[in-house]
Amino acid sequence: MLQLFNWLIKTFPSLASHQELTAFVLFIILGLLVLTFAAVVAGSLTYFERKVAARIQSRMGPIEIGLGGYIQWVADAIKLLLKEDIIPENVDKILFRLAPYFAFLGAGLTYLVLPFSEKLILADLNVGVLYFLAVSSITVIGILMAGWASYNKWSLIGGIRSAAQIVSYEIPSALAVLPVVLYAGSLSTQDVVRAQAGWAGFHWMIFQNPFIFISFFVFFISMLAENNRIPFDLPEAESELVAGYNTEYSGMRFAMFFLAEYSNVFILSAFAVTLFLGGWQPLFGLSLKIPGTAVDLWKLFSFFFKTSIMVFLVLTIRWTLPRVRIDQLMGLCWKYLVPIAFFDLFGVMFWMVL
Amino acid sequence: MAGRYKEGVENIPIEQIADALFPEVILTTVDDFLNWGRSWSVWYLLFATACCGIELMQFGGPRTDADRIGSVFRATPRQADLMIVAGTITYKMASRVKLLYEQMAEPKYVISMGACANCGGPFWYSYSVLRGIDKVIPVDFYIAGCPPRPEALLQGVIEVQKKIKKEKYLRAKKSEAGG
Amino acid sequence: MSLTRSEEWYLNMGPHHPSTHGVLRFVVKSDGEVIDEVKPDIGFLHRGIEKIAERLEYNQIIPYYDRVDYLAAFNASWSYVMAVEKLLGIEVPPRAEYIRVILGELNRIISHLISVGSFALDMGAVTPFTWAIREREVVNDIFEMVTGSRLTYNFPRIGGVYQDVPEGFREKVLQFCEYFPPKLKEFNDLITYQKIFIHRLANVAVITPEQAIAFGLTGPNLRGSGIKYDLRKNRPYSVYSEFEFDIPVGTGEAGTLGDAYDRYMVRIREMEESCKIIKQAIEKMPDGPVRAKVPRKLKPPVGDVYAATEAPRGELGVHLISDGSSRPYRMKIRTGSFAAMSIVNEVSHGLMIADLVALIGSLDVIAPEIDR
Repeated sequence: MLQLFNWLIKTFPSLASHQELTAFVLFIILGLLVLTFAAVVAGSLTYFERKVAARIQSRMGPIEIGLGGYIQWVADAIKLLLKEDIIPENVDKILFRLAPYFAFLGAGLTYLVLPFSEKLILADLNVGVLYFLAVSSITVIGILMAGWASYNKWSLIGGIRSAAQIVSYEIPSALAVLPVVLYAGSLSTQDVVRAQAGWAGFHWMIFQNPFIFISFFVFFISMLAENNRIPFDLPEAESELVAGYNTEYSGMRFAMFFLAEYSNVFILSAFAVTLFLGGWQPLFGLSLKIPGTAVDLWKLFSFFFKTSIMVFLVLTIRWTLPRVRIDQLMGLCWKYLVPIAFFDLFGVMFWMVL
Repeated sequence: MAGRYKEGVENIPIEQIADALFPEVILTTVDDFLNWGRSWSVWYLLFATACCGIELMQFGGPRTDADRIGSVFRATPRQADLMIVAGTITYKMASRVKLLYEQMAEPKYVISMGACANCGGPFWYSYSVLRGIDKVIPVDFYIAGCPPRPEALLQGVIEVQKKIKKEKYLRAKKSEAGG
Repeated sequence: MSLTRSEEWYLNMGPHHPSTHGVLRFVVKSDGEVIDEVKPDIGFLHRGIEKIAERLEYNQIIPYYDRVDYLAAFNASWSYVMAVEKLLGIEVPPRAEYIRVILGELNRIISHLISVGSFALDMGAVTPFTWAIREREVVNDIFEMVTGSRLTYNFPRIGGVYQDVPEGFREKVLQFCEYFPPKLKEFNDLITYQKIFIHRLANVAVITPEQAIAFGLTGPNLRGSGIKYDLRKNRPYSVYSEFEFDIPVGTGEAGTLGDAYDRYMVRIREMEESCKIIKQAIEKMPDGPVRAKVPRKLKPPVGDVYAATEAPRGELGVHLISDGSSRPYRMKIRTGSFAAMSIVNEVSHGLMIADLVALIGSLDVIAPEIDR
């Protein structure tokens, strides 16, 4: 982003006198771009999820609407936009209105440090990984707010479950990322990806070290739990809590929750790829003799290809497994994942020292 | 684009615009576009009370597959567009049906599925059964059968889609705001 | 004195709740997630079938029985026609009995399919449910071929069945018997032996054999507690004594005897056993008439009679009192779900909300059987 700003100033000297204004406009444009990208990604994911679900269940999924059903999410978005926005009588009105935005904020802000390609990153923060861990848990505030404000006991249970769950699973997910950071020697997401350069994926973090290999699964499970995906979707457990924290939401506010949920699926997969599976490191290394811009495109494609496979994995898990119970969820976290994550961290330390 | 014309509609009477220029074309286009979106995303409330509920479940199953036409079920009335009343409604349940209907967000549609919901069906003679849900909530479509086949229900949902496509969404909004 | 204090609250579960299987309402008194007390509130589907029957002739009552238990409509109406036949002393032709057994067992399979499928749905797995519906459609086709209806068949008649089975019935049923066991294995691989699923159900909502008897549970719920009681074996009606089949009982294979997983497993195994019965019945099916000579106007003698079949949800008994007229003086339906509902409060103390869903799902109650 800074490079872009500097480039703008250089190319259009007249802008130099209005630096603040330029920066502001640039921020807004980029912010809208990110939002649009997030919406498109989340929308496409809902279509993808419905298709995957349908295939697993020997159904067809959306096909009648046109373009093989792909524009289904556009229709859903239009419908949700036009729906009445109900604010029930007894709710805490301010919190009720704010909650969906907080829920989306957590997902939206993480796009900032997501390296799509070598050059395509919004902000290469030197604390990128830490930022990601911190920001991604803002979602829980939104969910808790929604649960509390809804004046509905099922929503409240959903919100409280979510808070307990996400706060607990922050620990193993953070601990599972630390070995990667140790190995890469940097907290910047770009540096982590650069550390994984090599041919055909043998230098991906996951294959560098047996401890990191285990860490990957700890990270993946924790992220599933943090994003409320089955088998950890207790906050919105359909058969237990009706619809959990979003029971009372309708129309666009519900769509925001929807958007947040699917953005989180993408983010979860994208970060698993970035941290463990080589990020934008081109598939088949650079052995392919292709010219300059094509390499960048190939990197972008590699990133999205790997992310799609991760997304597919997440969705397959979603449509195959049943849900765990809240005490089993907590037991899994504190009795298994946290000790394993600590063990991995120390293992990697010793590995690097020896 | 939609926003701009919507704004215009709210401020200026719609007839004026229609008379002044040739916005009829544009207005119908916007209307059609919105209706297209609404009609392909009819989410139904999972409200199964009796026998028809099983056919309602099979409606979402592999053979009929409601998802093909963009219909998925929601457990909460707030997020549903279509209420499929599947099964007998007793007097004890009637007030709850009304409550559920009121909890749904506008615009909302109701399909009365099966003989019991239409008119009481074989339980017409019972002392405890509501003889037709249209006594408590407005119904858009009735589906005959005891129970109707899932294909019949699919046809019912397609009829709802057709109804949505014929509506003038923006005009309705305007008259709401004006009146 | 501790500074924090917990307070119990009341949760209102139902009548419109995804996991109550129809319209039931539970008033749940709980401390957070841990349940203290569950009060079932029934009657949301009370349609007064018993009262309606008092003003209908004996023949006209059969369709109402399809709606007493819509998942196993054939078994329910079978109970009724058996009661009337007992009252009138009518001998049913053997071919009709075999057709009844085949259709009754097919009906048991599709009823259990919905039961285990929606149970998995309650546990959060959607795919097993759609798979169950997929297999169900195959049987629905057979029923449609024979009776013309997918759900409410109105097929048994007093003294037999409505009509003979159509051509191709035998092949279609045999084909299903070949088709179904592998599909059931697929289903088991997907969900039954799933680790999370077992952990969710083992040791949850344990009903001891003593409790099960004391509360009058029947059917898979009773057998899940380890008691080998099945009307088809213990009090053989129709032609069940001619078939070889096992009565699966709960063994506590995953946890304690009588837990939710046991009840679930009994249903899975019963589907296999039903397949065996159907195969034998279709091989042994004799030729002959399918309906005994029954007068058009039925006027049973004064007296009362009780007949029961082993329906998928437990003993479905019909108590008929006749005053000599063409209409029953009083009809009482005894259903398995009603008894099963009564035990909910007893075993739910100390469960979590997610376990309550498992308990209700494992009891396999449906609303019209409770309320009638």
